[in-house]
Amino acid sequence: MVKKVKTPAVELFWRWLFTALLLLVCVIVLVPMLNLLALSLSNPARVPEVRGLTVFPKGFSLINYRVLAANPLFVRSFLNSVFITVVGTALNLLVTSMAAFALTRPKLPFRRFFMVLIIIVMILEPALVTEYLVIKKIGLMNSLWAVILYKTVNVYYLIILMRYFEEIPPSLIDAAQVDGASNMTVLRKIVMPLAKPALATLGLFYGVFHWNEYFRASIYLTDPMKYPLQLILRQFVVLDDTASLIGSGTLFSYDEAARLSYDALQASTIIVAILPVLIVYPLILKYYARGVMEGGVKE
Amino acid sequence: MVALAKKKEWSLLLLLAPALLYFLIYHFIPISGMVMAFQDYRIFGKSPFVGFKHFRILFASPAFLQVLRNTLIISFMKIVLFFPLPIIFALMLNEVRSSILRKFIQSTTYLPHFLSWVVIAGIWIAFLSPANGGLNQLREMFNLAPKDYMTDKGAIRWVLFASETWRSLGWDSIIYLAALASISPSLYESADLDGAGALQKMRYITLPELLPTMVTVFILNMGFFLNAGFDQVFNMMNDSVISVVDILDTYVYRIGLLNMQYSFSTAASLFKGVIGLVLILAAHQGSRKITEKGLW
Repeated sequence: MVKKVKTPAVELFWRWLFTALLLLVCVIVLVPMLNLLALSLSNPARVPEVRGLTVFPKGFSLINYRVLAANPLFVRSFLNSVFITVVGTALNLLVTSMAAFALTRPKLPFRRFFMVLIIIVMILEPALVTEYLVIKKIGLMNSLWAVILYKTVNVYYLIILMRYFEEIPPSLIDAAQVDGASNMTVLRKIVMPLAKPALATLGLFYGVFHWNEYFRASIYLTDPMKYPLQLILRQFVVLDDTASLIGSGTLFSYDEAARLSYDALQASTIIVAILPVLIVYPLILKYYARGVMEGGVKE
Repeated sequence: MVALAKKKEWSLLLLLAPALLYFLIYHFIPISGMVMAFQDYRIFGKSPFVGFKHFRILFASPAFLQVLRNTLIISFMKIVLFFPLPIIFALMLNEVRSSILRKFIQSTTYLPHFLSWVVIAGIWIAFLSPANGGLNQLREMFNLAPKDYMTDKGAIRWVLFASETWRSLGWDSIIYLAALASISPSLYESADLDGAGALQKMRYITLPELLPTMVTVFILNMGFFLNAGFDQVFNMMNDSVISVVDILDTYVYRIGLLNMQYSFSTAASLFKGVIGLVLILAAHQGSRKITEKGLW
């Protein structure tokens, strides 16, 4: 190997340069989001002062959020999203755990056959049209269940959970079964409590998935009062359909509504859609990111 | 039968039943329905078989060929061009010694991964707005005329690339950070004793140690080459740029669910599925060969 005298000063220079570049990335990630937050919180009269790189609100007002809270369509969509997320995630965890438990038991009949089925699910994606026609045929059109049930079992998560369940000593399970406990009891009382960290991680990922879902909702739901928040957000922000939100039902006088800026109202909608993700984000970092950083890659 | 019943526990099937029912409704029945790609689908009555008619129309259609081109170009940008960025990010982050700074950088850059593409599209549409967007405010500082990136055919694919990077740069670097953390420090110590410089350590230790991870990530991504990111494109496209960003999945959606050409759309899906299957199986084999770990 070639010998070279290394100068700490040079290394220090690089280290600072890297840090500066990485902080620049952080600025690029944060500024567009903080800008929308600032826009949403600014005093309506001073909204024109808020430019694209402004990160602090000009004045302060919650009027945009009050307008949203007074809009039945918006409030309803928020509640729909909460319902879809809570029920969907509970169902995800239950059904995925049951399947993972059954599939890791050596006594399961046709075990190899089921494993092949799971691989098929993983690599073959049905056509959008044929999925749509099946949902239509079984009468789930315009039902929240068509949206809730989509991805009830994510096969990748199923496999992660199976690996986790396999680590549980079989003697623990056998002992309980000798005592006469049913499979469901063993799963509920022994396996699931031992797999808590894995279930928490998967629950967070399933939860974020449901909260962010809009596409299945857009093709399966026809009644706007059933729409989740992301779909309302898409109409309002992406398709720029401003009439849908400002329209009827606001408790504000015409004067006040006229002073509002669509941009600020759109920004507030985006912030409301981000907020629940921000609330669980520390948990995601705690359970997932740290696990990956310290324990090697699990996925 | 009696001997089998002793060994097997049939009640376990009950636990598996809900998952199987889900797979049946959302996967197996729709997959078997894809036979309609070879039929003229009728809602009532029997759908007649028409062989490869829809595929012939598909491959003869200039619109479909443009869609295929768009898919390949956008995937190339998001998989091949993007590929080195998370590696560079991880290598730089690995040099940051302050744990507070590291945590700040990580928690900030992982966040966009958890936002929906609807939200990200909203953020980017605002940021790129020609009227008052952040990027145009920057252009103004350099005395450049405002530009509408979202409706510019020459720019929109780079908007897709940039927003994908914005969303995934941090998150996709995690796997490389983990690989960097698992390199034995003794390798660097003995290199120090030999008087190796930073560049030499990078070239002879770090990069070779990262290589298996890089190869795995690259191969796995290749398996999804025809996807190109439906949610992103669907939320960022508009009438002005549709000709250059329309990808297979958005095309399948439009002709299938909006124009209700069910069989034709299913044929396009089937084409995508078959190529995708070949790519995924190749990725699986490739990954097994190189890292002894397949996709399943």
